[in-house]
Amino acid sequence: MAIVDFKFALEQVPAVLKGVPWTITIAIVAMLFGLILGLLIALCRIYKVPVLNQLSILYISFIRGTPLIVQLYVFFYGVPVLVDYLNPRLGLHIDADEIPPLMYALVAYTINTAAYQAEIFRSSINATNAGQMEAAYSVGMTTRQGLTRIVLPQALLIALPNLGNVFIGLIKATSLAFAVKVVEVLAISKIIANDGYRFIEMYLVASIIYWVLCLVCEFILFKLEKRMSRSETRMGLNASV
Amino acid sequence: MSPSLQNWIDIFVRVLDKLPLTLLMMVLSLFFALLIGLGIAIIRIQKYRYLYGIATLYLSFTRSTPLLVQLFLVYFGLPQLLLIINVDINHWDRLVFAIMAFSFHTGAFLSEVIRSAYLAVGKDQFEAAYSVGMSYSQALRRIILPQAFLISLPNLGNNIIELLKDTSLAFTIGIIDIMGQVRIILGNNHGIGMFQIYVVISLVYWATCIIIESLVGYAEKVFRKGHVGLSK
Repeated sequence: MAIVDFKFALEQVPAVLKGVPWTITIAIVAMLFGLILGLLIALCRIYKVPVLNQLSILYISFIRGTPLIVQLYVFFYGVPVLVDYLNPRLGLHIDADEIPPLMYALVAYTINTAAYQAEIFRSSINATNAGQMEAAYSVGMTTRQGLTRIVLPQALLIALPNLGNVFIGLIKATSLAFAVKVVEVLAISKIIANDGYRFIEMYLVASIIYWVLCLVCEFILFKLEKRMSRSETRMGLNASV
Repeated sequence: MSPSLQNWIDIFVRVLDKLPLTLLMMVLSLFFALLIGLGIAIIRIQKYRYLYGIATLYLSFTRSTPLLVQLFLVYFGLPQLLLIINVDINHWDRLVFAIMAFSFHTGAFLSEVIRSAYLAVGKDQFEAAYSVGMSYSQALRRIILPQAFLISLPNLGNNIIELLKDTSLAFTIGIIDIMGQVRIILGNNHGIGMFQIYVVISLVYWATCIIIESLVGYAEKVFRKGHVGLSK
C-alpha cells in the first residue's frame, strides 16, 4: 500500500465535487443578501440614524470580534430556543427540527458577511467626494436620487476589490458549514477520509478544489474590475471634454 | 443567588479556565508566523530567483484554501507524509500541530503586511540614508524599519485578532481550548443547553478581541508620539 495513493484520490474527486454546489450556493446567497443588508447598515451609520446607528455599531463589533464558527453554533442552538420561546407567545406552531440545515447556513453566513460588507460600503461611500452629493443637490436631486444615481455607482466601483475579497473569504468560510450540519466539500472529504484512513489524499483533493474555486473567482473579479474601471475612464474623458 | 444565574457564572468560570491555552496558542503562532512572514517578505522584496516562485505559490495556496483544510492537512497529512522518510511524529502533542498550522496560515498574511509596509516607506528614504553615508543594514535598521513598523501596526492588529478567532478551530483536532471545553461541560452537566455555552464563549472571544484592539490602538498612539518627536 502506497503511503500517498493518488489513484484513490483521483477516484474520489467526483464524490467531493458534489459538495461544490453547496459551497457556491451558500457563498452567492450570503453575498447577495449581505450586499443589501450591508448597504442598509452602512447608510444607517453614515446618516447616524438614532438607535439603528448604535445597534449597528454593536452588531458589527460582535460579528467581527467573535469567530464565525462560534456564531454558527450560537445561531444553530439559539434558533430552537427562540422558536420555543416565541411559539406560545405568538400562537405559532413552528417546529425547529424541520428547518433545513441549509437555511441555518444561509441566514448565519448572511448575518456574518453583512457586517463586513457594511464596513466596506461605509468606507467606500465616505471615499467618494462629498462634493458629488452637493452637486447632485444643486441640480435638484433628492437625497435618494443623489445616492442611487451619483454616489452609489462610484462607491460600488471603489468597493469592488474589497467585496471580491469578502466573496473569496466566504468561499473559504463555507468549510465551517459542518457546524450547522451542512455537508459540503470539506465534510464529504472528511467522511471519505475517515472511512479509508486516507487523510492526506482527501484533504489534498479538498484543498485543490477550494484553490481552483478561489482562482476562478479571482479571475472573474479581475475581469470585472478591469471592465468597470474602463467604463469609468470613459466617463471621465467625456466629462472633461 | 438564583440557580440560573449561578449556572451562567459557572459556565463563565469554566470557559475562562481555558483562556490561557487559547492565548498561548495565539502568542506562539504569532511568533512563528512573524518569522515566516519576515522570511517570505524578504524573498518577495529581493526577488530571489527560485525562492520567489515558491513563496508566491505558498501565498496563493495559503490564502485560497480554508484554514480548516490546512489544519487537517498538517494534523492528519504531515505524519503520514513524513513516514515516507521514516520520521515518526505521530506521538507529538496536538498543540504542536495546531501551532504549526496556524503559523503556516498566518505567516502568509503577515508576509503581505510586512511587504506592503516596507514598500510604503518608499525608495527616497533609502536614498536619503545612503546620501548621508549609511550602509544598507544601517538604513534598514535606523530609517526604514521604524517607519515600516508604524505603518504595519493597524494591519498587524487586524491579523492578530484574526489569529485569535482562528484558534477557535483547534478543537476540531481535539485540543481542549475554549471551544473544546464545551464537550467537557456537556459531559458533566446535562441540564445546560448548548446555546448558553456558546453565548458565553462568544462573549469571551468578543472581550478578548476588544482588549487586543485597545492594546494595538494604545501601541499605535505611543509609537506615533515617538515618531513625531523624532521628526522635530
